[in-house]
Amino acid sequence: MNAVQYDKKLRLQLFIILCCSAIFVNIFGDYFTRFLLSEIIILSLFAMSLDFLAGRGGMISLGHAMFLGIGAYSTAILFINFNIDPFLCSLLAVVIGLIIGYLIGFIIVKTDGIFFIMITLALGEMFHSWAYTNDFLGGSDGISGILRPKLLGMDLNEPLFFSYYLLILLILVYAFLAAVTDSPLGRNLDAIRQNSGRVLSLGGSVKLYKSASFGISAAIASLAGSLYAQLNGFVSPEISHWTVSGEGLIMIIVGGIGSLSGAILGAVVVHIIQHEFSKLVDWWMLLMGGGFILVVLFLKEGLWGLILKFKNYIIENK
Amino acid sequence: MIISLQNISKSFGANNVLKNISIAIDKKECVGIIGPNGAGKSTLFKIISGSLFQDGGSIIFNDANIDKLSIEKRSRLGISQSFQSNSLFNEMTVKENIMVACSQSFKVGWELFKSLDKRTNIITKSYEIAEEVGLTEYLDFRSDNLSYGLQRQLEVGLAIANNPSLLLLDEPTAGMSNEETKNIVKMVKKLSTYYTTIIVEHDMDVIYSLTKKIYVLDSGDLIFDGTPNEVKNSKLVQERYIGIKQ
Repeated sequence: MNAVQYDKKLRLQLFIILCCSAIFVNIFGDYFTRFLLSEIIILSLFAMSLDFLAGRGGMISLGHAMFLGIGAYSTAILFINFNIDPFLCSLLAVVIGLIIGYLIGFIIVKTDGIFFIMITLALGEMFHSWAYTNDFLGGSDGISGILRPKLLGMDLNEPLFFSYYLLILLILVYAFLAAVTDSPLGRNLDAIRQNSGRVLSLGGSVKLYKSASFGISAAIASLAGSLYAQLNGFVSPEISHWTVSGEGLIMIIVGGIGSLSGAILGAVVVHIIQHEFSKLVDWWMLLMGGGFILVVLFLKEGLWGLILKFKNYIIENK
Repeated sequence: MIISLQNISKSFGANNVLKNISIAIDKKECVGIIGPNGAGKSTLFKIISGSLFQDGGSIIFNDANIDKLSIEKRSRLGISQSFQSNSLFNEMTVKENIMVACSQSFKVGWELFKSLDKRTNIITKSYEIAEEVGLTEYLDFRSDNLSYGLQRQLEVGLAIANNPSLLLLDEPTAGMSNEETKNIVKMVKKLSTYYTTIIVEHDMDVIYSLTKKIYVLDSGDLIFDGTPNEVKNSKLVQERYIGIKQ
């Protein structure tokens, strides 16, 4: 699988533009716009976790929504059953996601291609079915009563502050993933995606590198799940359904696999289209599907590819 | 002695690809393995590097038995190889290819921060390797944009990135023009003064000019071993291999 052209500068430029747009929307938007913005930021975190896994390590996970579920349910249980501070719940959800992700990754990264996709799909569906039937997790009703954190005297139940809180987390996760992408681990994951046999013959621990990246990706997805539970105040099994993973993959394909900022752009575009089209027509999924097919056929590097072409055009015509 | 193969045998079903092959190679020696297609040369190479395991016999490397070690563990011990078909990281530049290879030998491949191009030791080593394989001018070229000959040079560059004790070169001049072959022979000649080297090659002129000792395989048997002159003058080798080539 190919990732988009590696351009650190453009990645940062696009991220800054997206963050500035988010701040603008948050300042001038109403309650519903801020809620939509919060949803988009959380989906961006999820999309970035998938983008890191697919774009760097070449691992396509169709069961990654399981980690959204793990993050959301662990936050709910820690808050409701153990009365732990919501902010600490999110931190613990990240640690839980990291550990479970690493352990699962250690077992499944031996496979690749279609086998990897099918194993992740099976694991995701196992989790979803378990959550759906488990009384402790609230069964199909899920768990409600999850509150948002209070930080530095600010009540994050106020949508304006919660969106800023999410934006800060997005910036931190972006900075972390950008650093990891450029780090020896990130470059080795790139190498593994291109030619894993050669990395092995050079003495590289392919299994360790892939497991570590799976753990990191799972931790970020888990954070997104925790924040999603706090945004909505409840969690239900639907969060871990495989279609959520599928939507995440659509976001990174639309944005441009491996570009990190493109994943955020993909989350913005796909979620806004979903949100707006669903208000206009009943057959919005048909439009979404058609648009996705066009992107796959004609924009192999997604929206990132378009932006890159635009940048190159400007440079050439300066 | 750096490596000793003792009675190595390997079969694929009923096909005995290698039959009790025993070879011993001294430090800093440069040896060649020749033979017609299907002689078992590549299988022997794969068994030494660890990408295949033998059915019988054992391999002693630096006085340790490495029979059960995987390819990456053998690489960490110092057995390194270049492949018959180029096996590069095609979306990366020449510099990035070499830096990724160096990150294994410097044991930093798993580190989460500080990019490779900000690590002085890795940059210095990468430039040294690029110079050794004649790619200094091409450091910022994507590897898939290089000519075939330059890609072969990079292939060898990756193999020497972990300071190998034993360098395995699988047909380093395969598919090259005369000019490219001359370049790579010159390069390998220089490298073989630092590293113990085993070369599998079809081009007899290349083998004669690079090696001090040659092992001749035919249908999985080691039929002859000797100096290049002895191989040239051997009637058996003439009949079984060189004669066929001519």
